[in-house]
Amino acid sequence: MDYNAQLKLQACLDGELPEGEAGKLAMTAARDGEAAALLEELRNTRAALAGFEAEIQLPESREFFWSKIEREIQRSEAPAPGSAAPPLFALLRPFLVPAFALALVFIAGVVLTRPTSPVRRAAAADSETTLADAGAFTYRDYSAGTTLVWLSYPADNEVAEDDEMGTVN
Amino acid sequence: MTVKDHSSADDQTLVRAAQRGDMAAFEELVARHRDKIFARAYSMMRNEEEAVDLSQEAWVKGWQRLRQFQGESGFGTWMTRIVINLCLDQLRKQKRQRTESIEAMDEESGGVERHMPVVTVNPTAGLERAELRQRIDRALGQLSYEHRTVLVLHEFEEMEYKQIAKTMGCSIGTVMSRLFYARRKLAALLADLKKQDSV
Repeated sequence: MDYNAQLKLQACLDGELPEGEAGKLAMTAARDGEAAALLEELRNTRAALAGFEAEIQLPESREFFWSKIEREIQRSEAPAPGSAAPPLFALLRPFLVPAFALALVFIAGVVLTRPTSPVRRAAAADSETTLADAGAFTYRDYSAGTTLVWLSYPADNEVAEDDEMGTVN
Repeated sequence: MTVKDHSSADDQTLVRAAQRGDMAAFEELVARHRDKIFARAYSMMRNEEEAVDLSQEAWVKGWQRLRQFQGESGFGTWMTRIVINLCLDQLRKQKRQRTESIEAMDEESGGVERHMPVVTVNPTAGLERAELRQRIDRALGQLSYEHRTVLVLHEFEEMEYKQIAKTMGCSIGTVMSRLFYARRKLAALLADLKKQDSV
């Protein structure tokens, strides 16, 4: 009797085979002494186990066992220490974040629009410098990290050199 | 509702009361089913202390998930499934912490159960109930947790192969093979115990 046949015999005992197949297997087992003996052994083991758990009892009194469960339930339902926020703070919390953000925007606005502020002064100086020199053309290539400046008129020192040359001439 | 009222109420009524937050109703349910839940944990764990702890944990989980209980099965069956899952988790943790048992290695190495001689004489015939229980207890303790669990789920929980496979996360073929091994090994162990007694 091969292993698959043994497993089928067990499945037959457990009522896990379709009726037709179970009937055939039962007939085979009746003719085969080895199969019949195995089936008997499996049946005996099942019978020995029946009712085994019925006599097992919890070794603790009802009151004591329940007191442990009750304590554990209450512990699991109690809020974790420190997690409870003061009621006033809890009420105001939804408004605090937008209020803080508005305050930051207001402060930034005041700092940037003040004429005497260093930021404002720096920005003004930059634009004056740029506007003051209309004859200069600047090209910046950020990817190459290069800045080129073209001057469309002779620089002061070039005029001076011309003058000197003229003097020589 | 008084405690006396609870003791005469059926499980369904108690469950509904407990779902509304009635702890006294839940206490009555615990009292009714605590032995069965403990017995299932003990059959799987083979350790009284662990079985007490796990059955207590199952009851706490039962209370926390009580709203999910819709009554498709009996309350006792529902609670039994909770304790079985807790025991399986615990057994898997324990298995990771120690080497595999000899029984499991036997199964992996080609199925020794195929070559075991058939136990022709019923080894439990004529035994007193207490003696039988003691012998089965010892024999169950010698099985690996996988074999014992399949046996417990099939024989005590009356689960079908398909349900056992789902619960244990394995194939139906593995369930059949483990159950076959567990039964044959148990028969051999009980026969050995009988022989030892007669010497």
